[in-house]
Amino acid sequence: MENNPLQLTVSEFVTLTNQTLEYAYPSVSVVGEVTEFRVSQGKWVSFKLKDAGAVVGCFLVLSQLRMPIEDGMKLLVVANPRLNNKGFFSLNVRAMKPVGEGSIKKGFDLLKAKLEAEGLFAPERKRRLPRVPQHVAVIASTESAGYVDFCKIINERWGGMSVEVAHTQVQGVPAPDQMIRAIRYFNSLEVLPEVLVIVRGGGSAEDLMAFNDEPLARAIAESRIPTLVGVGHEVDTTLADMVADVRAATPTNAAEILVPDRNEIIRASHQKAASLGYQLTQAIDEYSARTKEQLEAAFRRIREKLDENFERLAALRLATAQLNPENVLKRGYALLRGDVTLGATVEIETLHEIATAEVKNVRKK
Amino acid sequence: MSEKSNKTVQEQLSELSELVAWFQSSDFKLEDAFDKFKQAEALAEEIEKDLTKLKNDIKVVKKKFDTEE
Repeated sequence: MENNPLQLTVSEFVTLTNQTLEYAYPSVSVVGEVTEFRVSQGKWVSFKLKDAGAVVGCFLVLSQLRMPIEDGMKLLVVANPRLNNKGFFSLNVRAMKPVGEGSIKKGFDLLKAKLEAEGLFAPERKRRLPRVPQHVAVIASTESAGYVDFCKIINERWGGMSVEVAHTQVQGVPAPDQMIRAIRYFNSLEVLPEVLVIVRGGGSAEDLMAFNDEPLARAIAESRIPTLVGVGHEVDTTLADMVADVRAATPTNAAEILVPDRNEIIRASHQKAASLGYQLTQAIDEYSARTKEQLEAAFRRIREKLDENFERLAALRLATAQLNPENVLKRGYALLRGDVTLGATVEIETLHEIATAEVKNVRKK
Repeated sequence: MSEKSNKTVQEQLSELSELVAWFQSSDFKLEDAFDKFKQAEALAEEIEKDLTKLKNDIKVVKKKFDTEE
């Protein structure tokens, strides 16, 4: 036995060990492969992290589990090392995330399947966004290029909107909780914004992992305000995109979906007005053509009536001409004037001469 | 907003659509068409003016989201 060894009760030893651990390692990040994952009483989660040389137990409450995990996944846990009263050493997990492409994909697939089974991606849940919103809420990191792009495009395309922006982290362990708080904040406003937009520019799969967080996906799905999520590049798909009412491929695309292009509307308005001018000209042309047709029909009718009357007049003229005595003289007859009595003088008119004659004889026919 | 009226851009766009619909409806009368066309032209001008000068009011909320309050 050494001289003056520290003599402690078991409880004191456990307390002292925990104090020493807390001082030396207030928080540790440990990477390892999950084994013996288990949920007890629907409340407690325990698993072991292992590598080639060692194993350490991990513990957390179920509500802290932000993504489904299973044996074989590689995790990074942020934890407090603790020795419990039963003598078991464990890591009390405060946060964790999958590490490596395979585990990130595995975690994504597990959560996707879970949320899909609950119908959170169902098309019938999707709400339409207003065509021209007046009041918009945005969740983004105001220092990010994605946010700058989003603002640039909405300002180019449209104006007159009131845009409230919640500045949050959009990557890293604190990001999902910050975004959840921002979603709740906007949903608690007395006057709700008409659209809730979440944007973040491109990044690695690990950078975008905050958008594959289960509580964040549920908060987006539960939002009373219709949601529009534009995260990453076109090829990136996150669970936040999938639960959103409308998915945009990028922050720029989110801005394009959110508001119409004022230049297009101006162009369309002038085109509409011009098309009315064209229709008016057409209507005037049709009216003129119709009026011309009606006038022509009237003139035709008048001409027909005149022709009829001219024909009748000609017939009458012919009949009248036949009654002219001169025409009779032309045929060799003569016209006799005076009393046809014995000894009387009469006048005889032929076509070219007029003779005076005495009546020498009168007899009855 | 235009100085000529207090209509919002949305109201102006609806009015323009109504004028377009009138031209295609059975209510169309040549006697009224020229005035309606002039109204449409004036509306298009107003829409352009109003849309060109509209600015968004973007404000970052003061509330911090890094901790639960």
